[in-house]
Amino acid sequence: MIAALSGAVDDISRAIRLHRVWVALAREDVGDQHRRTTLGPLWLLVNYVAFVGTFVFVFQPAGKDAAGYAAYVAIGLLVWFYLMEIISLSVSLFQREESFIEGTTLPLFVYVMRLALQSIIRAGYAIVGCIVILFLSGSALNAGWLWSLAGLFIILLATPAVITVFAFIGTFFPDSQFIVGNMMRVGMFFTPVFWVYNGQDGIQKYAYHWNPFTYFLEIVRVPIIGGEMPMQAFTITGIMSLAVWAIALLLLGRYRKQVVFMI
Amino acid sequence: MVSIKLQNISLVYKLHEKLTLSAPDRRVGGPGGRIEGSGRKQFVQALDGISFELKAGDRLGLVGPNGAGKTTLLKVLYGIYEPSGGSITLEGKVDALFNINIGFRREATGRRNIVLRGLINGWTEAEIEEKMESIIAFSELGDFIDLPFKSYSQGMAARLAFSMATSLDPEILLMDEWIGAGDAAFQDKAKRRMDELAEKAGIIVLASHNESLIDSVCTKRLTLKSGRVDSLTTVLT
Repeated sequence: MIAALSGAVDDISRAIRLHRVWVALAREDVGDQHRRTTLGPLWLLVNYVAFVGTFVFVFQPAGKDAAGYAAYVAIGLLVWFYLMEIISLSVSLFQREESFIEGTTLPLFVYVMRLALQSIIRAGYAIVGCIVILFLSGSALNAGWLWSLAGLFIILLATPAVITVFAFIGTFFPDSQFIVGNMMRVGMFFTPVFWVYNGQDGIQKYAYHWNPFTYFLEIVRVPIIGGEMPMQAFTITGIMSLAVWAIALLLLGRYRKQVVFMI
Repeated sequence: MVSIKLQNISLVYKLHEKLTLSAPDRRVGGPGGRIEGSGRKQFVQALDGISFELKAGDRLGLVGPNGAGKTTLLKVLYGIYEPSGGSITLEGKVDALFNINIGFRREATGRRNIVLRGLINGWTEAEIEEKMESIIAFSELGDFIDLPFKSYSQGMAARLAFSMATSLDPEILLMDEWIGAGDAAFQDKAKRRMDELAEKAGIIVLASHNESLIDSVCTKRLTLKSGRVDSLTTVLT
C-alpha cells in the first residue's frame, strides 16, 4: 500500500516535471481536431450554443420561469458535456496512447493530464457561450458566482483522478468502453441536466438524489441560479473527489507497469 | 561510468483473453516466446534467465530468429517492460529507437516532432532550438522537414528518427532493426555516427537480422533463442 502510493506519487511528480510535453500535446490535439476548418475550435462554441438553444426551444416552461430555464440548461449542459467527455474518452485513453506507452518511458500521468487539459480547453469555449447566455437571460453578477467558481474548481481537481480510474477500468475490462459510452449517453436523461426537480415523486426523485452527477451539477448551478450555497452538494462532491483520488493513486501505484502488457 | 548489468532477467506476462462467444483460437507455436498454461490462464515466457554485462565502449548485437526476444529485451533495458525476475543495473542516459511509428505524431511536421521528442526527453525549448539545425542537417530531409510526418517514406522517417536519437547525446543507445530502412549512403553515415558514439565511451545495443551490419558495427554478439541466451561471443574486427 505504502509502496503503491509512493509509486503513484513518483509517477505524478515526474509527469508534473514534464508539463511541457502534455501542454504541447493537448494544444495540438485541440488544433488537429479542427484542422482545415474555417471556424476552427470556435465550432465547440457553436455546438454548445446550438444544444442549449435546442433544449430551451423545446423544453422551456411557459411564464415567468422562462429566462431562468435558459440559465439552468446552459450551466447544466456545460458541466454535463465536460464530465461526459472526460469519462467517455478516458476509458480508451491507454489504448489510444499505445504507441507512446510502448515506445517511451513517459509516466502514465502525462497521458492523464494530456486528456484533462484537452477537455479543459474545449470546455473553455463552452464557458464563453455559457456566460453570454447567463447575462442574456438576466443573471446578474453576484457573490453566488464565486461559489459556482469554487464548484468548478472542485470538478477540475477531481478531473485527473476520474480520468485515471476510468482509464484503468477501460484497460482491465475492454468491454467497459462500450458500457460506459452507452451509459453516459443515456445518463443525460437520468441526470437533472435539462429537467428540473421540484420535489416530485417517481423516477425523477431517485434520479436526482442517487445520481452522483446531480451533485457535480448542483455545486456549479445552484449558487448562480438559486443564489445560495449548496452545502450538502459541496460536501458530497468533496468526499467523492477524495475517494476517487484515493482509488486513482492506488491503481496508478499498483498497476502502472502492467498497463503496457494489457493494451 | 556508463554500464549495463543484467542478472538472471526473466519476463513473464499473462495473455489477456477476452470473453467471447466464438470458438477459442487453438493456434499455438510458431514464433514468439513459449506459451504456457491453457484456457483463460495463459502466460508467455518472453525472457528467461538473461545475464550479461556491458561496459563503456561496448557495442552489442542482438541476433536470433523472429520472436526470440530481441525487441522485448531492448524494451526491458529501456524501462518500458518491468522484468518479472532478476535485477538490472543501468548507468547512463538512455535513448531508444524502436519502430518508426512509435513516439511520433503523424499529423505534425518533422520539425514539430523534433520539438516533441526533445520535450519527452526532458529538454527545454532553448536546448531543442540549439540542436534543431544539426538534426535537420544530419537527416538530409531538406524542405521535407516542414511537411507532416505522415508524408514521409519509411526511409525518411528512419533518417529523422536516427538523427534525433543520436543528437540528443545518449550514453546508451538501444536500436531495433529498422535502421536498414535508410539507403546505403545514410547507413554509412549512421555507422560513422555510431562509431563516434561508441568512441565517446557510450554503449550501443542493436537488434538486427542483418549479419553484415552486426559484424561491422558490433563488438559483441548475443544470440537469443526462445527468450534464452544461446551464445554470447566477441566479434573479431
